[in-house]
Amino acid sequence: MSYDDVEIEDMEWNDELQSYTYPCPCGDLFQITKEELKIGEEIARCPSCSLYITVIYNLEDFLGDSKKPVEPSKQQPVAVA
Amino acid sequence: MIDEKNKVMEETERIKSREEEEEEEIWSWGAGTEGQLGTGKLQDEHKPQLIHSLSSFGPISHISCGGAHVIALTPGGRVLTWGRGTSGQLGHGEMVNCLHPKSVEYLEGIFITHASAGWNHSGFVSDTGYVFTSGDGSFGQLGHEDYISRCSPAQVLHFKARHVEQIACGMRHSLVLLKGDTEDLIYGFGSGKRGQLGISDDKLKSVSTPQVTLGFENVKIRSVTANGDHSAAISMNGHLYIWGRSFHGAPDVYTPRRVTADLLFSQVALGWNHALVLTGDGEVYMLGRYNYNVPTGAQKANGMNHISEDEGVLQRVLDFNSTKVVQIGAGAEHSAVVTADDGSVMTWGWGEHGQLGLGDTNDQTGPRAVSLCNEPSRKPCVGRVYCGSGFTFVIRTYTVKSSS
Repeated sequence: MSYDDVEIEDMEWNDELQSYTYPCPCGDLFQITKEELKIGEEIARCPSCSLYITVIYNLEDFLGDSKKPVEPSKQQPVAVA
Repeated sequence: MIDEKNKVMEETERIKSREEEEEEEIWSWGAGTEGQLGTGKLQDEHKPQLIHSLSSFGPISHISCGGAHVIALTPGGRVLTWGRGTSGQLGHGEMVNCLHPKSVEYLEGIFITHASAGWNHSGFVSDTGYVFTSGDGSFGQLGHEDYISRCSPAQVLHFKARHVEQIACGMRHSLVLLKGDTEDLIYGFGSGKRGQLGISDDKLKSVSTPQVTLGFENVKIRSVTANGDHSAAISMNGHLYIWGRSFHGAPDVYTPRRVTADLLFSQVALGWNHALVLTGDGEVYMLGRYNYNVPTGAQKANGMNHISEDEGVLQRVLDFNSTKVVQIGAGAEHSAVVTADDGSVMTWGWGEHGQLGLGDTNDQTGPRAVSLCNEPSRKPCVGRVYCGSGFTFVIRTYTVKSSS
């Protein structure tokens, strides 16, 4: 059973993982790639445990290159002393 | 100047520990692949591990566990952090993990009395009422009126002229408690999508400027708590207030709501889908339910009794060997308590990463005793338990008999 239903706009784009991510209760991240979303995959898995979430999104937003996909919040790491 | 203050702090700690003649043990178990267990290893531990990496810093008075990082405070106000640091949550001036407890240099010379670890951010409160935050700021959860992450603690200037008492860090939001002469105020900032800030009746996304949480006029607040998308407060007169994501499939709660029960509460601990509350009489109640791999339909755990008039959502947790509970903790999907008579620790909930400390990865529907046997003959006088998302820490203090 899916741990949770999460809207794509609540997921964060992670450059390093090249995936949309959402916190997993184990401490790791649920992950799904743009390629997976393009083929209609809606399950984001955690690489560290058995849990997974269902991603809620519009397939059309991820089809084709001309259309701009949803832009979720992006982390901007800066060093501030 | 700073060095001098540090010396005084260290001296105070040394004298205190000598006078009380106490010995302290720190144990950890559960998810450990980010170094959060302080074992120096990047692996899960299913059995309690005795941690030696903190012993050089003297006694530890308080621990807060986040998504995969830990903050520890010494009685002298020093701050140590370790675990995941990739968002800057460790406050070490860089965005890397740290396997061993390390002093937060930026806060040296500042006497930190309270700290909270969120999913990927941290909050620190000083004895002078200043509040500092570091880590992931992409939802405004650092309170600096921007959405920038910080790898060194920065003072939240919004509260510059005020006396902050506590900070509570959740997944993507923070709560701050201000104690005033006439009234207490709670402020919220960060993600408010599930109502966890309690600042508006309407749905809102994120705020990076702290705003007053509604509904606490003339209420004196004892403590604020945050985890996941949940928020909670306990008033001085023992009332429990909850807001944010709902616990039982009901609509989210956008302004703090008092839990109606004929009980007086002293502590609350929040998970991602459940809350644990402790009454003044040492009884434990649970709101919501664990959400890991639960079968569809109603799930009723063993050892629980419906008691509340709130449509049965507040359930009493039994099975603590008939003893009272003195302290509670909640991870994302597990719970832990310390019992009164012998300071033993009991855990239940999700166990896939060994976060229950029972030597396996099984889930438990009711409380089970954790074996923390270093020297079984010695009885701890004080035990404290602290839960991170998928891991658990325990501080045990033993009184050493004076040789005179």
